[in-house]
Amino acid sequence: MAHALEMKGITKYFSSTDVQANSNVDLTVEAGEVLALVGENGAGKTTLMNILYGLIKADAGEVFIDGEKIQINHPDDAIKNGIGMVHQHFKLVPSFTVAQNIILGMEPNKAGFLSPKQENAAILELSQKFNLPVDPKAQIRDLPVGMQQRVEILKVLERKAKILILDEPTAVLTPQEVKELMAVVRDLAKRGYSVIFITHKLIEVMEVADRVSVMRAGKMVGTKKVTETNIPDLARMMVGREVLLRVKKDTIQRGKPVFEAKDISVSDVNGLAAISHVSFDVHEGEIVGIAGVSGNGQTELVEVISGMRPLDGGKIFLNGKDITHADVRERRDAGMAHIPEDRMKVGLNLQTNLDENLIISRYNQSEFSKFGFLLGKSINKFAETVVKSFSIAAAKPGEDISMLSGGNLQKVVVGRELSGDPSLIIANQPTRGLDVGSIEFVHKTLIEERDKKAAILLVSVELDEIMSLSDRILVLYRGEIQGELDAKTATEEEIGILMAGGKLEQASKGKE
Amino acid sequence: MEGFFSVFTIELVNSGIRLATPLILAALGGALCNKSGVLNLALESKMLMGAFVGIVAAYYLGNSYLGLLVAILAGGLLGALFAFLYHKYEVDLVILAIAFNLIILELTVYMMRIMFGNVGSWSDPSIVRIPDIEIPLIKDIPVIGGILSGYNIIVYFSWFMTIAMYIVLYKMKFGRHIRAVGENKEAAETVGINATLIQTMALTISGMLAALGGAFLSIGHLKLFTRNMSNGRGWTAIAAALFGANHPIGTFLASLFFGITEAFSVRIQNVTDLPPNLIELLPNFATLIVLISIALREKVRETNARRHFRARLKAEEQQKAA
Ligand SMILES: Nc1ncnc2c1ncn2[C@@H]1O[C@H](COP(=O)(O)OP(=O)(O)OP(=O)(O)O)[C@@H](O)[C@H]1O
Ligand SMILES: [Mg+2]
Repeated sequence: MAHALEMKGITKYFSSTDVQANSNVDLTVEAGEVLALVGENGAGKTTLMNILYGLIKADAGEVFIDGEKIQINHPDDAIKNGIGMVHQHFKLVPSFTVAQNIILGMEPNKAGFLSPKQENAAILELSQKFNLPVDPKAQIRDLPVGMQQRVEILKVLERKAKILILDEPTAVLTPQEVKELMAVVRDLAKRGYSVIFITHKLIEVMEVADRVSVMRAGKMVGTKKVTETNIPDLARMMVGREVLLRVKKDTIQRGKPVFEAKDISVSDVNGLAAISHVSFDVHEGEIVGIAGVSGNGQTELVEVISGMRPLDGGKIFLNGKDITHADVRERRDAGMAHIPEDRMKVGLNLQTNLDENLIISRYNQSEFSKFGFLLGKSINKFAETVVKSFSIAAAKPGEDISMLSGGNLQKVVVGRELSGDPSLIIANQPTRGLDVGSIEFVHKTLIEERDKKAAILLVSVELDEIMSLSDRILVLYRGEIQGELDAKTATEEEIGILMAGGKLEQASKGKE
Repeated sequence: MEGFFSVFTIELVNSGIRLATPLILAALGGALCNKSGVLNLALESKMLMGAFVGIVAAYYLGNSYLGLLVAILAGGLLGALFAFLYHKYEVDLVILAIAFNLIILELTVYMMRIMFGNVGSWSDPSIVRIPDIEIPLIKDIPVIGGILSGYNIIVYFSWFMTIAMYIVLYKMKFGRHIRAVGENKEAAETVGINATLIQTMALTISGMLAALGGAFLSIGHLKLFTRNMSNGRGWTAIAAALFGANHPIGTFLASLFFGITEAFSVRIQNVTDLPPNLIELLPNFATLIVLISIALREKVRETNARRHFRARLKAEEQQKAA
C-alpha cells in the first residue's frame, strides 16, 4: 500500500545564512500513524515542514500523497491535498470568536452577508464530531493557550486535512494541557489521520508516537519504531554524542544569604494581587527553584526582582543592601544577572550584531567606552572571549545573530549574563524551546556557577528541570508560596499537589 | 450670559454638521485603514487633492456633481499609488505619508498657478455650489426636521457611508476579512486571504472618501480653492478615528464633536470679548485634549488600580498592627 505521505530527497539551501537546512531528506508517514520528528535546534525540522506546507520552496525533492506525486507551491496547495499545519506561534485573531477563527476565509454567506448562527452551529458540530469541546462564541483572547491550540487543530480539521503537522505543540502548554493534547493526537490517529509531531521532549515522543524520525544538521539520520528505541538512544542520535539528560551535581555547603525578599506584594494591571506577601531568600552556592503552573505570578516576581516593575509592598535586599527602589543598572552593578523568559524580545536585540548584544549590559564601563565612544577593539576581544568560554560555535564576533537557532541564541544570553561573576542569577525558563544538547549546556553552566558560589533563582514550569537543578524548591500558587520542599527528598507528586493549590500533610517534610 | 447661551441653536448644529462632513468622510477612510492594519497619515494630502481636483473638474466639465466624481477617482488613484509604493517597494508608511502630504501641498499650488495664474485662491462665477436638498416629510418634523434636513448630497452620503461601513465591517465576509488582516495578517494569509489586496482596497477607498471630503470644502461648502485648503483637517480626521476607536459609529460621533466644536468657536466670536485668535484655537485644544486622554486612558487606569492596591496593603498592615 502506498504511504499516506512520502517526501523524497528534499533539499533546501538558505543563501542568506549560508545554511544547508535540508539535504536529501526522506520522510514517510502512514495513515493512522503518529510520527515524531526530533532533532537539535537548527536541524531543519521546521524547514522541512514549511516545505511540505508550501511556505518555503524546496531546491529539490518530491512529495507524494497516497502514492501520487503532487506539487506544492503555496499553503493553498497543501490544504487542497489534505495537509494542515498548526504553527508553533498560533495564527489566530484575538478579538474574533472561536467559530470566526476556525471558519476564517471559508465563511458561508449569502451575497456576502455572514450568518453567525450557521457558523456557530457548524463549529459546534465539528467539535462534537472530533470530541474536542470548544465554546464557539468565546473570544480567543480570553482563552488559555491549550484551548487556543485546540482551535488551531479544529481549524485544520475544518479544512479537511488528513495529515496534520504540529510544530512543537507542547512548548507552551501546562503539563495538564500536554496530557489532553496527547489524548487528542492519539484519538486522531485512531480515526485514520496522520500526525507529524515535532518536539524536543523525548519523553513525549515515547508517549505519543508510533515511529520517530531524527534529524541532525539538515540530514535525516534515522527512523525508528518507538518500541525499538529509548530516550538515551534518541538523544545520542540527535546530538551525535552521549548526552547527560540529568546533569550531575554535588552537594555543597551553602553560604550566607545573597538575596532576600521580605513580605513582597505586587499588583497586576487591574489592581489585584499578582504576588501577595511573599518572603524567601537565596544563599551563596544554592539554586532555589520556583515551581508552579505558568501564570501564578512567576513573571511578576522576576520582573520586580530584576527591576523592570515597581514593588508595591515589602522590601528586597541584594548582598545586604536594600535594592527595593534601585533601578536596573544599580541592581546589575550590585551583582545581579538576569536570563529573561523571552530571549527574542527581551533577552536580545536581533537587529544588531553579536558584539553589541554581548556588551549591552556593560557598554558604559571604562573597558568598553571612553568619553561616550565605544571601543571597538576591546569589545571585539571581549566577544571573542565569551564565544570561546561558552562555546557559542555558530556565532561570530561582529556578525548578525538574527538567524541563529534557539539554542545558540540562548547561549549568547547565557554568555553575556554569566561573564562578570554575578552574585545573583535569575534564570527564568532558561531552557524553553531548547534541544537536549542545549539544555545540557545551560544546566551544566548553571551548576558550575552555583559551585562558584553564585546564588541562583531558577524559575521554570518544567518540573524535571526544577527537580534536577534545585537545592530548594518553592511552589508558587496564585501569587503566594504554597510550600517549600527540600529538593533532595521532594517527589513529583508532592510538587504537583502544591502546584494545584493543595496542602501537604503535617507529617511530610518541608518547613511551612 | 444671555448672549453666551444664544449660540446654542439649531443653526449651530447645522453648521457643526456641515463642518463635520469632511472630517467624517476622511476619518471613516482612516478608520478603515486602521482596521486593515495600515496607518494612513496621508489623509491630509488626499483631502487637499480632492478639494483642488473637484473644483477644477467642476469648472471644466460645467457640472459640480461630475466634479465630485472626478475628485473621488483622483483620491482613489492616489490611495492606490500609496498602497502600491508601500507593498511593492516596502516604503515606510510614515515616510510615504510625509512625502505625499508635502508633494500634494506644493503640487496643488503649482497647478493652480499655471492653470489660473492666480496666487492665493481661485474661483470662477460659472462654478455652482452643490445644492442643498430638503428631505420630504422629515423636513416638516419640528426641531428634528431642522437638524436632519437641508444639506447637500455629500452630507447625506457621509451618513450613509457610516452605516454602510458598519454593516460591511461587522456583518459581511469582506469586512471580517479586513478586520482579520488588521489584527493578525499572518493568520489571515495562512487561510488564503489576500492581505495585500485587502490593504490596497482599504487605502484606495480611504483615498476616495478623503478626496470627497476635500471636494466638499471647495464645491460643497464654499466655491473656491485656496492654498492648503484642507488646513489640517486630515490630521483632525486621524484623531477622530482614534477617538472613535476606529469604529464607524464612534468615528462619526467623534467627527461630529470636532465639527460642532469648530462651529461653536466660530459663533462664540460674535458674543464674547475674548480675542478671536484665541477662540479659533478652541477646536485644536479640543483635539489635543482628546488625543492626550486617549493616550493616557490605559495608563491612568493602571496607575489608579495600583494606587488602590497599595492603599489596601497599607490598611491591612495597620489592621495587623492594631
Ligand atoms: N528563512 C530562513 N532564511 C535563512 N535561514 C533560515 C531560514 N529559516 C531557517 N533557516 C536556517 O536553517 C536552519 C534550520 O532551521 P529550522 O528552523 O528548520 O530548524 P529546527 O530544526 O526547526 O530548529 P528548532 O528546534 O530550533 O525549531 C537553521 O540554521 C536556521 O538558521
Ligand atoms: Mg523549529
